[in-house]
Order: sequence, then structure tokens, then C-alpha cells
Amino acid sequence: MRPVNVSVKLDVSVASQPWSLASSAKRLVLWAVLAVVAIFFVVPILWLLLETTRAGQTGPDTQAGAPLAFGSLHQLVANWQVLFSGLVGQIGTWLENSFLYSGSGVLIAVGLGIPAGYGLATFDFFGRRLLLLTTMIAMLIPTNALVLPLVLEAHSLGMLSSPFAVILPYGLFPFGVYIAYLYFNAPRVFGLLAAARSDGCSEWQAFRHVALPLSTPVLGLVVVLDFIASWTNYFLPWGMYLAFGCTASSTTNIACQTGRYPVTLGVAQQLMAGAPAPFAVPQLSGTVLSSVQMQTNAPASVEALLIFVSCAPVIIVLVIAQRWIASGRLQGIFV
Amino acid sequence: MLGVVGLWPAGYALNLALTTFDGAFSGLSNFTGSYNQGFLIPAFEHVGEFMLIWLTALIVMVIGLSLFMHTLAPRVSAAFRFMFYVPAAFAGSASVLLWLFMFQPGLSPWDFVLHALGYKTLGDTLISGNLPIIYALIAFWTGAGSWILVIHGALTNVPDEVLEAASLDGAGPLQTALRIKLPMIKKWVVYMLIVAFAGGTQLFAEPQLVSVANLGLVSPVWSPNTLATYLAFQYNNFNWAAAISIDLLVVAFVCAGVLVFRTRLFKAD
Repeated sequence: MRPVNVSVKLDVSVASQPWSLASSAKRLVLWAVLAVVAIFFVVPILWLLLETTRAGQTGPDTQAGAPLAFGSLHQLVANWQVLFSGLVGQIGTWLENSFLYSGSGVLIAVGLGIPAGYGLATFDFFGRRLLLLTTMIAMLIPTNALVLPLVLEAHSLGMLSSPFAVILPYGLFPFGVYIAYLYFNAPRVFGLLAAARSDGCSEWQAFRHVALPLSTPVLGLVVVLDFIASWTNYFLPWGMYLAFGCTASSTTNIACQTGRYPVTLGVAQQLMAGAPAPFAVPQLSGTVLSSVQMQTNAPASVEALLIFVSCAPVIIVLVIAQRWIASGRLQGIFV
Repeated sequence: MLGVVGLWPAGYALNLALTTFDGAFSGLSNFTGSYNQGFLIPAFEHVGEFMLIWLTALIVMVIGLSLFMHTLAPRVSAAFRFMFYVPAAFAGSASVLLWLFMFQPGLSPWDFVLHALGYKTLGDTLISGNLPIIYALIAFWTGAGSWILVIHGALTNVPDEVLEAASLDGAGPLQTALRIKLPMIKKWVVYMLIVAFAGGTQLFAEPQLVSVANLGLVSPVWSPNTLATYLAFQYNNFNWAAAISIDLLVVAFVCAGVLVFRTRLFKAD
């Protein structure tokens, strides 16, 4: 570039510095939009936190005071006691179940995904490319797409309501295989592995002592992403534990196997207290239900606490892993 | 040897889908049967309306906000990104229950909005014309944050030299955003749209829970997935349900196939 040209361009760029009135007005508008969206995102969580400190008397409609007001810490303790009293549901059991299902799923995902990614990256075998393409297709298919086929299969195998019915699908995490593959498929790793082999390492030793210690960032990412996905999954446990069990015992849906529920189902069950069946039959015009307060098992404040407690593990994981979810989520895909 | 282990997780899904398919493969009668019921097309229309709102919101808000936040100080931008990402922790049933409270006049912090719209009960809010936008709101609340992370990640990969060159050439922040950054992250926008589209066809938790919460005023067969589960578990018609789930799987496969073979996002060598 010729120097003359540069100086001319520089003048232009000085002239369009963002200090002019028009562009600072534009920035103001952008800030306003950002602020509104931020409020949209934050207020529900703020409401949730404040609601847990309030006295929800008998139902959601009898709340006193403004929606966004602080109650008292004393009331928070009282709500906590109600929540864990067993009257609202089996929150303790549900949390244990969620930890069991998600934790086991994550272990399988890591235990199979990391070696699989390593194998795909370091060995050249027949069908490798096909396998890779299959992995990529599988990771891009929404998890919900496989729920109904899985439920029908579990039904035919008699595996419904078995913990494995959700643990095994949670263990399927092709995205983990793919990022492990990308991570190991780097010249840096190849160099180290070649060095290890020439130093007399067996294949297993090369994997165990060289590749595995290198893979901690990928390992962490797989753990975090699969844990969040499993913990928040609703459709799959719904199909496995609720859909069949409840139609079989057509009395009330609370009679289903609530002891097997993960927290997502437990939370959903709060809504069903008032409904006659897992699916309420649609009322056609003519019957006008003038409802309509939401029917929940407990006052809104206790339900709010339940929602918060059920998501707390994920929030904790998010806060801890915040920095490298942001970078790591893409670090695998971007090369 | 390890490749065989790799076969397992990838092959697992395919195998499961195929075994169901075998059960349902009595010609195409299940597909036509589920279609002739007259619920499938409305269900797809509902999801179509939802998708229109949800994808527009993603394009306008996620890309717009990401571009703007990219011009802010890194710490400020990171704080906002985290704020937008936290609701992802409430995905699944928790977000739906939480938002049902948000739509409950008298209880909601948005009471003034509901009041201005003339809604006095939850039933007023959940009228069927509102459902696509309500589901889109919930989906946006839980899902937009992770897409902002993805787009932000794409933006940080735009080389500094390119941005410097642009500002040397006299491009203002707006021009840089639209003419330089946007074209360079185009493939990630396409990725977002296709994945969000494929995910959108799978809508389940929102319509199912809202239907339950509202005591049957909301149709339980609103989306293809709730229709399929309704057929399976209310009428024990597994074959029609399987047919619908195969319909949806085909959509998902096509989307995934386009991403893998038509874009250059993923490499396999």
C-alpha cells in the first residue's frame, strides 16, 4: 500500500469516529436494546429467587404484595422445610436419581467417547471416514428425535422404568467423540505419540500415559456439556417413567413410579396434580372452564424453591465452568 | 481396536432408530394412516408458526446483540454473555413451570404487561393464538444464550488484521459489523439456523406441560412430538407414533446431512 493512500484513508477514519451526535445516538439505542433483553433474561430468575423468600399462602392467586419484593429469610427456611417435608414430592430422591442418571451417563460418555475419538484420530482403519461421518450426523441430530424410538425399543425389551433406560442414552454423546477426535488429530499430539512409541511405549501405554493426560480439557468439556444435557432432559425420562406407567394405572398420574423420577419429572409433576390424566383430554367448545389458575401441588413460593433447587447443580457447574464453556464450546469445532 | 469402541456410540443411535423402523415397516400404511388422521398437518403448521418467530428472533437478536457486544469491553461483554447463558440451566421442565408463573396474572413480575393486554387469568394468556409466541419466548429464554456464545466465538475468530484494515479503510463500527464481520461468520449463522430448525421440529416439553397445566384447554396434540406420544400412550398406536417419529427423524437427518456435506464446518480426514 502506498503511504499517500494510507494518510488519506486515515483522515476519513478520523472523521467517522463514534463521537458524532448521530452515531452516539445509535449507540444509545443499541445499549437500550441490550438492556431490555438483559432485563427479559434476568427478571424471571430474580423473581424465582425473591419468591422463595415469600409466604405463599394457599395458592398462587393469594400472594400478597408486589411480585418482585423480598420476603424474609425466616420464610425461606419455612419454605425449605415444606419442600423437604415429603408433602410436595420426593425432592431428595429425585435429586439422587438425577445425580445417578446424569453421573453414570457422563461416565459412559467419557469412558467411550475419549478412546473412540483417540482411535479415530490416530489409527487408519477400514471404514474410518464412514464412522466419522456417522458420528457427525449423530451429533447434529436433536436428542429429542430419538426419544420415541428409544421408548418404544425399551418397551419391547421390557426395560422401561429401569435406570439403564435413561443412563445408556445419556452415555451416547457423539459430540464428545468428535471434539476428542479433533483434539487428538493435531500435529502436536502426533509428534508426542511418535516420540512415545520410539521410546518403546506400547499402544496402550501411549494412550494411557501420553494421550490421556493431554486430554483433560476435552474431558472437562465432555463432562460439563453431557452433564447439563442429561440433567435438563425431560422428554426421555418422561417417556421411560411416566408415559406407560401412568396409562396402565389409570387412576391418577401421581401413582406412577415417582421414586424413579429425576428432578425434571419431579418438577413437571407439580403441574399434574390438578390434571386427570397424563394428557388431559381436550375440552371442546361448549364446556367452558373458567379456570384458570395453574394447579400446582404447593404454593408458588415452594414451587419456586423446588425449581431453583432442581437446577442448582447445573447453575453451579455453569458458574465454575463458565470461562471455558465460552471458549471451549467452540474450540473443538473451530480449527 | 479402539475404532470398534468408536462404532458403538455412533452405531447405537442408528440401530435404535432402525429397529423401531422394522417394527413399523408394514409398507407405508402407518405413514398414510398417521397423516390421514388430520392432526399431523395442523401440528406441523403450529410448529411452523413457532419456528418463524423463534428463528427470526434468533437471527435478529442473537446476531445483532453479538455484533454489538463484540464492540464492548471484554469484561462487560463476558458479563452479558453469562447473564444470557444462565437460563440454559433451567432448560426442560423447570423453564416451562417458571414461565407459567410468568404468564400468571397477579403473580407475574410482568403483571403490568399482561394487564395491559387484558389478560386476567392464566387461561386468557394461554389462548391458542398466543401459543407459538409463548413457546418461542420460552425457547428463546433458555436457548439464545448458548447461540450467543457460539456467534461470539465465531466473531473472536475474525482476525484482528482484517478489522484493522477495515478501520484504516474508513469503515465505521456499523459498516465493519455488516460488511466485514457478518460475511465472515456467515457459515455459523447457517449452522445456527439449521440446528435450531431441526431442534424446533422436536418441540415437546413446552406444549406437553402447558397442555397439562391448563386442564385441557390447550390441545395435547399441538406439536408432532406431542401428537406422536399421544397416539402411542393414549391410544396404544405405536406404529403411527413410530411413523411420525420417523418423519421427524428424516427432517433431522436431512438437516444434519446438509450441515455435514454442504457446509465446510466439520472436517473428516
